Amino acid sequence: MWLKFLLGVFFVLSLLGAFVLAPRHKAWRNNDTADITSDQDRSQDRRRLRLMSWNIGNADLESETRAHAEDLPAVAQVIRDNDADAVAIQELTGEDQLRLLLAQLENRYRGYVCSPGSADRVDAVLVKNGSGERDRRGRSFPDDRGVRFHDVPAGNRFAAAATFHLHNDLPKIVLVSMHADAFSSSRRRSFVAEVVDWVRGQPGNEIVLIAGDFNFEVSLRNKTDLFTDDAKHDSESYAYLLKYFGDLGRDAGETSINDRRIDYIFGPPNTVSLRRAEVLRGAAVGRMDHWPLLVEVAL
Amino acid sequence: MITQLRLELLKLIHSKGFYLSFAALCAFVLLMLWGFYSYAQQKTNGLATEQFKYTYESRSYFNGLTFTLYSLVFAFSLIIPIFVAMSAGGQIAGERRAGTLRMMCVRPVSRVWIVLSKFVVVAIHTYLLMAFFIGLNLLMGLLFVGWGNLDLYPGALNLVDAPGQILRDEALWRFCYASFSGTWALLVIAAIAMLLSVIFDNPVTAVASTLAVYLMLYIVGRIEFFGTLRSFFFTTDMDFWRDVLKPEVPWHNIYHYACTCGAYIFGLLLLAVLIFERKDITS
Repeated sequence: MWLKFLLGVFFVLSLLGAFVLAPRHKAWRNNDTADITSDQDRSQDRRRLRLMSWNIGNADLESETRAHAEDLPAVAQVIRDNDADAVAIQELTGEDQLRLLLAQLENRYRGYVCSPGSADRVDAVLVKNGSGERDRRGRSFPDDRGVRFHDVPAGNRFAAAATFHLHNDLPKIVLVSMHADAFSSSRRRSFVAEVVDWVRGQPGNEIVLIAGDFNFEVSLRNKTDLFTDDAKHDSESYAYLLKYFGDLGRDAGETSINDRRIDYIFGPPNTVSLRRAEVLRGAAVGRMDHWPLLVEVAL
Repeated sequence: MITQLRLELLKLIHSKGFYLSFAALCAFVLLMLWGFYSYAQQKTNGLATEQFKYTYESRSYFNGLTFTLYSLVFAFSLIIPIFVAMSAGGQIAGERRAGTLRMMCVRPVSRVWIVLSKFVVVAIHTYLLMAFFIGLNLLMGLLFVGWGNLDLYPGALNLVDAPGQILRDEALWRFCYASFSGTWALLVIAAIAMLLSVIFDNPVTAVASTLAVYLMLYIVGRIEFFGTLRSFFFTTDMDFWRDVLKPEVPWHNIYHYACTCGAYIFGLLLLAVLIFERKDITS
């Protein structure tokens, strides 16, 4: 009898233990656009840089998986609402869509699309104009932010990059917008390596950030246990990036449908410190399959 | 009670299945050694480094500890559970099949203790399997692959989400912990097999049913369609065993999942005992 009683006691204790020790999962914040700098010192604020990365393409169910022109007003609204200093956009059809987007942004931003290379879609990078006026956060910007745009060659494809000043007394910032291959982990790995090598070739006094849809998922959520070449290539790509950069959106959660975290913003860990990372869930419109990743760093 | 336990241990030691399980694990380690060795050779030669500019796979990455980690992770999910299910599934149903169960029950030992002593023996067998497998891998790794620190990268094996490293001596301790956490996780399968062994008359049916339940949940838990159900499967809870191999051990998580597995183990054993007590044994 006592053995059965003992088993029952162990059973109840185990249940209680499991309940009491249940891990507290971090709840990702929804579209919280609170101005986190309101209680910050103004001098600190001028060193802050707000970046966004967003693949505005559509889910595969659509016949046109690239960005839809009718979604661009909503995209512009999200960019304006979040007051991003620079934005990395992926999966535009071309320069026409960029012009439409800039028009929707009321010419508060300058933009550039990379050469398509072998791809049927292009990446874009937008930089907020330094109009001398004050922004929503009360910061004043120099008239000329010294914006320059470039193509980043990577094999037979390209990424888009913008070099600009947040303020003249601060180091130059380079933001690369890239979109790695969705179907081949091997091509993703080569592409990432090319982009990282381009970044490493930039002058040492520039702060370089890489943002975009990397299409690899290395989160622990995906526990397949099996060792595949795809997982290995993606692991190598991510490890190579982490050799030189910090993964700024690591704690912001999934960025795409099916709980996938495939959009990233990488920055140099020694020269930028993370203030905020957030995925703006609910910002997607139409049949978009990604959410924008918003990151705020202090230089 | 002690006599009963001693008898069960003797039965285990004299069974062919006991030795078969160790022999099969040896064969698996040899196969892994060949696969790992040839893979390491291929990845550290010129061809691999020509294709990609960067790789973390180097001669220092491929060492006995990495070999043990890969071998253990692969074997834990699909090889070792088979032997645990065989060992536990044959305990009561095997006695019934052999016609010795009735004789056991007329002896002055409670039916509860018969079930529990058999489970204790299965637990010992499971621990021996884990410890033997880890020890053999470490030995083979040391002799044939070399020695070093345990480097971990995100993606492969899905163990970490940032690159990390465990120093050699610490890693050896972690494998020691893994032998215990792995045994505890595998005891869930043992408890299921024990329950089915009480229910079914044929040990083959008990073993096959246990493996069917385990494999079904294991596979279904890895298909995205069933993502929302995944957290309710015991196979998901069993995965906690390998958390001890992370650079920063998430002890809180481990305690939680160990308790969850404990609830499965004790709950299933209690159910097995209650059914066995009321069972009419006619053979």
